[in-house]
Amino acid sequence: MEDKGNKVMVATFANHYGAMLFRKTVGAGCTLRPVPRYLSSSCGTCAVFNGPFLKEYVNENLEAVYEEKDGRYEMIYEN
Amino acid sequence: MKISKEMRNLMIAGGLIGIIAVVLVLLGNPKNMGFCIACFIRDIAGGIKLHTAAPVRYVRPEIIGLVLGSFLISLATKEFNARGGSSPMLRFCIGVMVMIGCLAFLGCPFRMVLRLSAGDLNALIGLLGFAAGIGCGSFFLAKGFSLGRSHRQAPLEGAAISIVNVILLLLVLIAPALFAFSESGPGSMHAPLVISLCAGLIVGVLAQRTRMCMAGGFRDLYLLKDGTLITGFIALFICALIMNLITGNFKLGFTSQPVAHSAHLWNFLGMFVCGLGCTMLGGCPLRQLILAGEGNSDSAITVLGLLTGAAISHNFGLAGSADSVVEGVYKVGGISTKGKVAVIACIVILLAIACVKTFANKKEK
Repeated sequence: MEDKGNKVMVATFANHYGAMLFRKTVGAGCTLRPVPRYLSSSCGTCAVFNGPFLKEYVNENLEAVYEEKDGRYEMIYEN
Repeated sequence: MKISKEMRNLMIAGGLIGIIAVVLVLLGNPKNMGFCIACFIRDIAGGIKLHTAAPVRYVRPEIIGLVLGSFLISLATKEFNARGGSSPMLRFCIGVMVMIGCLAFLGCPFRMVLRLSAGDLNALIGLLGFAAGIGCGSFFLAKGFSLGRSHRQAPLEGAAISIVNVILLLLVLIAPALFAFSESGPGSMHAPLVISLCAGLIVGVLAQRTRMCMAGGFRDLYLLKDGTLITGFIALFICALIMNLITGNFKLGFTSQPVAHSAHLWNFLGMFVCGLGCTMLGGCPLRQLILAGEGNSDSAITVLGLLTGAAISHNFGLAGSADSVVEGVYKVGGISTKGKVAVIACIVILLAIACVKTFANKKEK
């Protein structure tokens, strides 16, 4: 798993529960928001946090993690 | 307030859908029922002879269009994604209960907004129940409720419900004698088939692109303090209201509203069941159809639950009956004693499932 420094990252989940667990693991600086349409056709909850993305953050409901690059999001991890 | 691109798209889509819904009424659909996912699935259940309630039997092309619209646009945009396996049996059962709740109220969240836009204040009571149900569901979500995650499946699994809809449409066109059609009542009132189908396709595309969802709108408001998703339904309400005012379909009040009853407690509780069930499922009946078209077999199973729930509601006399005038006397409709027991039972069962799936998750953790 790549270390992406302090970049803005977005994690998407199979359900709201996964997002809640993720926020608990990441701690302060992680906020829950609706998933942006350009990332997914699902209308669930995503977590926005500052990198790096660590292996310990992964839970079974995590679907993908995207990194912001010049206003665009690039998938860096898929579960 | 800053309007994001997503919010703008939702407003445009919601407005268009509101206009399409009123146009469908002008072209023959029952009043305040340009679109109603619950009523239309109930009509299909009657059309394919799963129940025998004579006034509500018609294979509604709008539903077929919604699924196929979502299916085609998700294929075109490469968003078709066959997934499933997240508590399918529980989703089926919750789908059954959501339909029992909707038919106690006489409409899904979509029709609730359309009824409200035509001045039916009974729908306002329904809206309060719906919001309360979603509030209750959101409480469980915040405590850790989950039906488990879905997993990738074979494309055919995800496409099955769309294929079934194509077959159903072909059979209706080639061999209509196979199906039952109402000769009177709401089932006998419909816009021309091609127009209904096109309307369904357009709304299916719009709803897939914007992820419009009434239950999701309230849930995001409660849990994330975000009003983006609900703007679609606000725009739908405003445009349908304007259309109803222009066409003379607006009539403010509780009494003598088309295909509606003024038994307030049961309007509230029926939509409470719907709101709670939809939050547990992750979307309202419209959203379930759209997700099913996108390849989500869990939503397809939910749609089958809705279909079965419609048959159960009518076969066992659980559905609401509209207010009527009998020999010059206004008679308040509502639901039968069996219907009341069923609605209460649905609330108890949904709460039991919510508790088990919330606290079991915590235990596993």
